[in-house]
Order: sequence, then structure tokens, then C-alpha cells
Amino acid sequence: MLRFRASIFKEILLLIRDRSGLAILFFMPVALVTIMALVQDAPFRDYQELNIPALLLNQDEGAFGEQILARFDSSRMFDILEITGDEQALKKKIADGTYDIGIVIPPGVSDYILAQSNGYAEQMMRDLGMPVLPSELPGIDSTKQVGIFFKPGVKQSFRQAVLQAIRQESSQLETATLIRSFKTILGAEDDGEQASDFGNFVAFRERPVGDEWLEARQTNSVQHNVPAWTMFGMFFIVISLAGSIIREREEGSYLRILTMPGSYLTVLLGKMTAYLGVCLIQCALMLGVGVFFLPLLGLPALDMQGMTFLNLALVATSCGLAAVGFGVLTGTICQTHQQASTFGSVSVVILAALGGIWVPVYVMPAVIQSIAEWSPLFWGLNAFQHVFLGNGQFQPIAAYLLYLQLFFLCCVGISLLINRARQQA
Amino acid sequence: MCNSGRSRVQQAENDQGVNPTEALIDIQSLRKEYPGLALPAVRDVSLSIQEGEIFGLLGPNGAGKTTTLSILCGLKNPTSGHLAISGFGYAGDRQVIQRLIGVVPQEIALFPKLTAWENLRFFGNMFGLTGAVLKARAFELLDQFGLAEFRDKQIGTFSGGMKRRVNLIAGILHHPRILFLDEPTVGVDVQSRNMILNLLRGLNQQGMTILYTSHHMEEAADLCTRIAIIDHGTIIITGHPADLIRQHQVPNLEHLFLNLTGRNLRDEC
Repeated sequence: MLRFRASIFKEILLLIRDRSGLAILFFMPVALVTIMALVQDAPFRDYQELNIPALLLNQDEGAFGEQILARFDSSRMFDILEITGDEQALKKKIADGTYDIGIVIPPGVSDYILAQSNGYAEQMMRDLGMPVLPSELPGIDSTKQVGIFFKPGVKQSFRQAVLQAIRQESSQLETATLIRSFKTILGAEDDGEQASDFGNFVAFRERPVGDEWLEARQTNSVQHNVPAWTMFGMFFIVISLAGSIIREREEGSYLRILTMPGSYLTVLLGKMTAYLGVCLIQCALMLGVGVFFLPLLGLPALDMQGMTFLNLALVATSCGLAAVGFGVLTGTICQTHQQASTFGSVSVVILAALGGIWVPVYVMPAVIQSIAEWSPLFWGLNAFQHVFLGNGQFQPIAAYLLYLQLFFLCCVGISLLINRARQQA
Repeated sequence: MCNSGRSRVQQAENDQGVNPTEALIDIQSLRKEYPGLALPAVRDVSLSIQEGEIFGLLGPNGAGKTTTLSILCGLKNPTSGHLAISGFGYAGDRQVIQRLIGVVPQEIALFPKLTAWENLRFFGNMFGLTGAVLKARAFELLDQFGLAEFRDKQIGTFSGGMKRRVNLIAGILHHPRILFLDEPTVGVDVQSRNMILNLLRGLNQQGMTILYTSHHMEEAADLCTRIAIIDHGTIIITGHPADLIRQHQVPNLEHLFLNLTGRNLRDEC
């Protein structure tokens, strides 16, 4: 026990004395959580909440222009600014990069729709053998096209969404106008606005099936990024821990310890305990950032309402153990600090990518998804999200805890075997 | 390897590892082969070192000194041969031997970010020393080695000679009966070397048996009661330095060393 305590104390002193290293261990993950939550805030939001800056040049004096304006105004998708002037002025503002989208409604579109509707209605009445005064169906007028201009680089899916919205509005207005034309021809009373209020004949049901917590975790970037980058930050101690092991080997203190009574495992356990402590402080710090700091930046607070402290402690400790185990293995395998630093950072980035830190695993190809299930960061991230958004049950996290702890034991076991093999060589 | 078992461990704990009927360090036909190397690093090495000796193991680079020392310290297992320290072997009595020996590696095996006292406290704790006993012992040695006023300074700020001295103190904190030193004076100034050698003599006079390796022939001739010259993994001569110089009619140990090991460079990588 004395050796264990001495080892912990020594490691804590070494960590405290390495102020720049300590700053990196704590500041970098906090910066990562904050920046990534901010950067990914928009992509995680529903399009309905995007408030994309848009321009509208409405030269139409009829119903069409007004309805388009009302539709986009009421939508949270756009933050619309109506301008006057001409199409060139609008294009210039888009090209300047201030606005992502510009819509130009040319003059006389409403009259054009009305003329078209009347023409079609009369044509149909004649086809049905009803007495209608002959009139000429107006041809297609290219000057009545609604112009939609995008900033270069705007995603195709977004363009389609905008086009779809305008088409839908146009379609509704055309239908309403057509019906109004029929009514006029038939001498029925025009009830104005109500003519277009059909609603949808077919209703849609939309609800998630399977893991309902999976739906909840997509609600915002904080809910994804805080546990994700907490895991990533905890795993980044691999470089620091591996560096410490290699330094002790290079400086000879490792060999000196081997000549002293007692098992090296006791000393290693002391080192691992100190680094596990660092991981847990990192975790607490980053969750604190999610709950208290990110809301100050306009982001939603981390939702931890499903959490029990015991489950959180178990998950954080298991994740910390996995990170520490991987650090010990990296420090054992790598011969130099440079090797450990390169291998450690690249391997953590790969494990993070596979684990769904950047992109959720469920959007990855099937092959990658099956590989991702072997990443300790995947286990950790899923366990964290179950803790935050579950209902306090232990069962959903049990398997992940087991995997993380087995990973730790495997890493430490392999490291000890490698050390023994080197000693016996 | 010597016999082992709980009874031997118990006996060692009872009498603090003293077994006066045998040579303190006994090596017979020691051999060490490394995978991938055609020649063994150590072959047929036999040595018997008595209690109270200062024994110098001398040899050119790559001769097998460090490998032999590593085997004696329990850091490497021999391929074959017999090794006993105070009658105990590493196979069964590792912990007993580790309490008997102190090791001073060639590297400055200390933590540069810790102070001298923090380093000594850690290594003292590794030997089970703690509290006032450890503090008194560490401060006494720091004082003896002229480092009392630097005990709260980080090792990283020390000169090479000061680091060597703390390195040595860390190996003798627990009063070992046997001290293994791998080139303890390499890279230190004349004053530090003089102090280290005088303190080694003092430790030896207090009953500590010392085995050390060195490249300094003059230093070895001055310090050692006996030396062995090893080359190509084999002991080629053993004896008291003065006797060997007289027998081989050479002016000093360095001439004898060059006569026996040749004048070719022994670069190793």
C-alpha cells in the first residue's frame, strides 16, 4: 500500500509541475467541447429553426407575392428581408455573401396565374360540353418565372427544400385560383380565402421506433458534442501517460523500480490511479461546461435529467480506465516519445471517428458501423448518452461498462506481458 | 540457481539475509544469449565475491559488463548458469535479494521535476521506508554528499555531478548489503568524482560490498580490492589490481587492460 500511495503522490506532483501539460489536458478538451458544440449547432438543428438569411424582391402586386412573403415570413427556416430595386441588386447582395438565398417574384405573376387558371377552366368546361364564351388560353410566358438565386456552395438538399416550399405555395395558389375560375364560370359565389383551404386529404404519421433515446440525443449539438468530446478529451491523456512511461524507461527510473522489492504492477496502479483522477476531473469539467457555460453562448444546456449519479460515476470511471489502459499499452509498445505522440493521437482520432464522435454511427455505412462497435469511444459515448437521456436504469449501460473495463484489463495485461517478455529476452 | 522456498525467505527475513557460510555473490558458468545475435553477450562467466570487497568489473564497450550487472540486479534472466546472492537465487527469493541489494544505474534514474527530497522519499517508500526514519536517513545522506541545501530544489536544475550524487543516494537509502554501480562517475567533474569515491570507500568500511563497472582504470586501481576484466562476454583475468600489475610487469592497469583487450576501437551501436 505504501508503494501504491507513493506512486500516486509522485505522479500527482509530476502532473502539477508540468503546468503546460496540465493546461493541455484540461484546456484543450474544454475548448474542443465549446468549439465543436458551436460549430455543429446549425447542422444539428432542424431546418425549421435555421433562420437562413434570405432576400425577397417582390415585384408582384397580387396574391402570389403576398403569399410567398407570408409563407417565408412565418417559417423559422428563413430570416427574410424584403427589398426593393431590381434583380441585379439582389444578385449583388447574394454574391457579396451576406445572404444565402434570394427570391425574385416578377411583376404580374398573380395576374398571369389568374389568366392561366381562367383559360384552363374555360377549356375544361368546353371539353365537358358546357356553353362557355370562347377565349384564348395564354401561352407560357418566360418573363413570369420566379427567380431563385443561391450563394455558391449551398447544399443541393437545401436548394431542393427551398424550391419545394415555393412550388408548394405556387401549387396551392394555382389550385385555389383555378377553383375560383370554375366558380366564376359556373356563377357560384366566390368565398375568397376559403377556396384554397383544402388541407391534405392524406395525413401522415411520423414517430420513432426502437430506441427512443436515440431520437432524443439528436435534439441538439450540445447533447451530442459534450459527451462525445468528453470521451475524446479523456482518451487524449493517452499521449501524456504514454510519454510518462517512456520517459521513465529512458531515464532509468523504471529499471531502478524493477530492482526494488514488490511488484511493478503496484507502482503502475499508482500511476494509473493518478491519471484516472485526471480523467474524472476532465469529465466533471466538461460536463460543467455543457451545463453552465454553453448556455451563456446561446446554446442549449446539456440535458442530464435522466441521470443518476451512480450511473454517471460508473460510466466516467470505466471510460477513464479504458483511456488509462490504452495509454499504458501505448507507452509500453512505443519506444520513443515521438512514436507515442504520433501513434497515440492518430489512433485516438481513428477510434473517435469510428466511435461516432464526429458523425453519428447510425449514418455510417453498414461495414463501418460493424467496425465502430469495437471502438471504446463508441461504448463510452453510448453509455454517456444512455446515462443522460435514459431513465436512470443500469441495464442499458451494463454491457458498455463491461466492454470498457475488459478493454482496460486487456491493455494492462498485454503491457505487463510485453514488459515481462522484454525482461526475459 | 540456488534452492528456494518459503523457509529460505523466512530465514532471510529472520537474519536479515545474512548467510556467512557462502560467498556473498557467487556466479558459475553464467551465459546470456540475445535472440538474433550470433554470439552470446556473456559466456561462461564465473565470479565469487566475498563480503566487504569492492569489486571492479572492467571491460571495453560491448564486453558484457552491463549484461552481467543486469543479471546480478535481476533485470535480465540468464540463459544458463548459476547465480546466488548471499545464497539466494532470483527464481525463488527475488524479494529477499532485492532487499539486500542497492542499484545505481548509469543513467540518472531520477525524476527531474521532483526535488531531491521528493525523489528520495519516493525511492525510500519503494523500499518500505517511511516517516521520520526515511527523512532522517535521506537528510543524513544529502548532508554527507554535500547536498543538504539543495534538497528542496528540482533535480532538473542540478549539475551533472549533483545528479550523480543523488542517483547514488537513492541506491543506498535502505542500507543495502551489496551495492551495484554501473559507471557511477561517468560525466562528473573531478571534485564530484573524488567525493563519490571517498563516500564509496566509507560505505565499504561500514560493511557494504560493492560491485561496480567503470572505464576509468586509474579509478578502479585506486578503489577496488579486486577487479575482473571481461571481454567478448568472458572473464579474462581476475585479481587485486596491484598484484596484476606486478605479475604482468606493466606500469599501470590501463596498460594491462590494453594488452589483454587489444587496441582496436570497440564502437557499439
